[in-house]
Amino acid sequence: MQTKWISKKDFQKLVSKWVKKHAVYAPVHNGKELAFQAVEKPEQIVLDGYLNTRYPAKSLFLPQSEVLMSYDGILHSVENAEKEKIILGVRSCDVRAMRLLDHALIDDQNPDEYWKRKRESAIILTLGCNEPEETCFCTAVGGSPFSTNESDGLLIDMGDAYCIYLLTEKGKVLFKDLPDTDEAQLKSVKKMTKQVEKDMPALLPKLELHDALMASFETDFWKDVSQSCLGCGVCTFLCPSCFCFDIVDETVRKERVRNWDTCMFRTYSLEASGHNPRPTKAERTRQRVMHKFAYWVDLIDEIGCTGCGRCVKYCPVNIDIREIAAAALQQDFEGMKK
Amino acid sequence: MKNCYEPFPMHIDRVVIETTDATLKSFELTFDRKEDREEFFSKYNPGQFCQLSIFGKGEAPIGIASAAWEGDFVRFTVQKMGKFTTAIHAMHAGDPIGMRGPLGNGFPLDEWKGMNLLVIGGGCAFSTLYAMTKHILHPSHRADYAEITALYGTRNSGLCLYKPVIEEWHNRSDIEVHQAIDIAEDDWKYHVGFVPAVLEEMAPKPKNTVAVLCGPPVMTRFTLPILTKLGFPPERIFTSLEKRMKCGVGHCGRCNIGHKYVCKDGPVFTLKELQELPNEI
Repeated sequence: MQTKWISKKDFQKLVSKWVKKHAVYAPVHNGKELAFQAVEKPEQIVLDGYLNTRYPAKSLFLPQSEVLMSYDGILHSVENAEKEKIILGVRSCDVRAMRLLDHALIDDQNPDEYWKRKRESAIILTLGCNEPEETCFCTAVGGSPFSTNESDGLLIDMGDAYCIYLLTEKGKVLFKDLPDTDEAQLKSVKKMTKQVEKDMPALLPKLELHDALMASFETDFWKDVSQSCLGCGVCTFLCPSCFCFDIVDETVRKERVRNWDTCMFRTYSLEASGHNPRPTKAERTRQRVMHKFAYWVDLIDEIGCTGCGRCVKYCPVNIDIREIAAAALQQDFEGMKK
Repeated sequence: MKNCYEPFPMHIDRVVIETTDATLKSFELTFDRKEDREEFFSKYNPGQFCQLSIFGKGEAPIGIASAAWEGDFVRFTVQKMGKFTTAIHAMHAGDPIGMRGPLGNGFPLDEWKGMNLLVIGGGCAFSTLYAMTKHILHPSHRADYAEITALYGTRNSGLCLYKPVIEEWHNRSDIEVHQAIDIAEDDWKYHVGFVPAVLEEMAPKPKNTVAVLCGPPVMTRFTLPILTKLGFPPERIFTSLEKRMKCGVGHCGRCNIGHKYVCKDGPVFTLKELQELPNEI
């Protein structure tokens, strides 16, 4: 794998060049929070001293609210021209989530064109995580803080410089005139990343957890773990691998719009007859956890949680998906009251 | 852009009030554009459904109740129940409407060739079974299957769908039709009783036979054990499920049972497939 070296000062100059030619999106403080936004000046970009934006990078591809069609007696698809854009500073967990969403939205006979066009027009540059937070657990679910999968390049912060792993042709073009990393530099990168990974949580036993959850399905376990849940849905709205949406008609604007939706709401699965397959928060919590840790495993043999920790960090009542997984592995569901 | 969320523009060609209480109406829709019609009929397999679309009211997934050979229209039988279905019940012939589909897998008709079919329907869930039976009874398809037996139950005779056609089926020699109502009525010539009890009395032989079951949950719950008792293995019992849906193509998340989506992987499942999934119907 080809690696390059660039001082932070030169990197800023390089970004200034990109900004002139491309749309560049990166983490920016917007007054309230850190968010991926279009950048005008490289000084706005925040790559140090933070980990994740509040909203995952998926919001750039599956926005919270998106106009699908306009209505003038019949519905017409809205086709926004997608300009090529560079998305800089996406953490590995958010990058991995995007590949999961590719599977959910475009890997079949009815691809979601809105998602697909935005994906195809984006160059993604991952930023490695030198100091993961307490809520980070990517390594427990099959990821890495320095993943070289799924993006066009990986930036690793080496103090006054970045080491850049070039992962695709698109990535190579962006960094083409830079010097290659020398052996000593590469050695220091590997030493640092290895140490960080070593201190992260251990990999969960994927299949054992899958089987435990399947056995838990009709037990009171879910009543217990969901007891304090308020049903606010923040865990799903901020989740990088959640993709559920609702389609609604805005009659004044004459538009058909899709909005993020959540399995944590009662009306999500409520049928017109009054029947609801998930009538209480126990079934809804079960759906959220089992989608990530059981159903994704059935589908692609991978856990569908990327360990970003947002649901843990932002839950108002401190429900912790790591604790639910650990508890499920401890339980004897066969002996439990159904 | 080929957009899987964009409905075909259609018009309502005909509305039929199916039941005496008028809670069930059939709507026959025709295509505004020739290319949409060709696309639809190149894909349609009985047992599939469409998302019907009324701007301002949204969309609702409804099973297709017509066979392709019936003509250039698509029939949907709709029970007045929620917001969307109340809106369509107020519509008339000539009104514009949208439609996306056909969606879902439909019945595996090729797999069933050479076998006997036992068709069991209850109430308004009979619609896709009606489409399938009509398809099979067509002279160009009938010889592909052995004996066909149908059992259709409704609460009372007034709630029976597609009356003129079902009357005609009673007189045909290439299908054996049983009808049942819950409580006896004057002039009723057929069975009286619930579907599971009537089925047990009929005692169809499971040998080389596929059972296809669509009905309200209570009927399904009590009929499945009877089929098992009669010797039907779970891989030869088929049923069609319903769920709340939005996209209809496996993207919006809401209709899953375990890792399967009812819209994309169903709506038709075997009892064996359902037994392997979590119990969340």
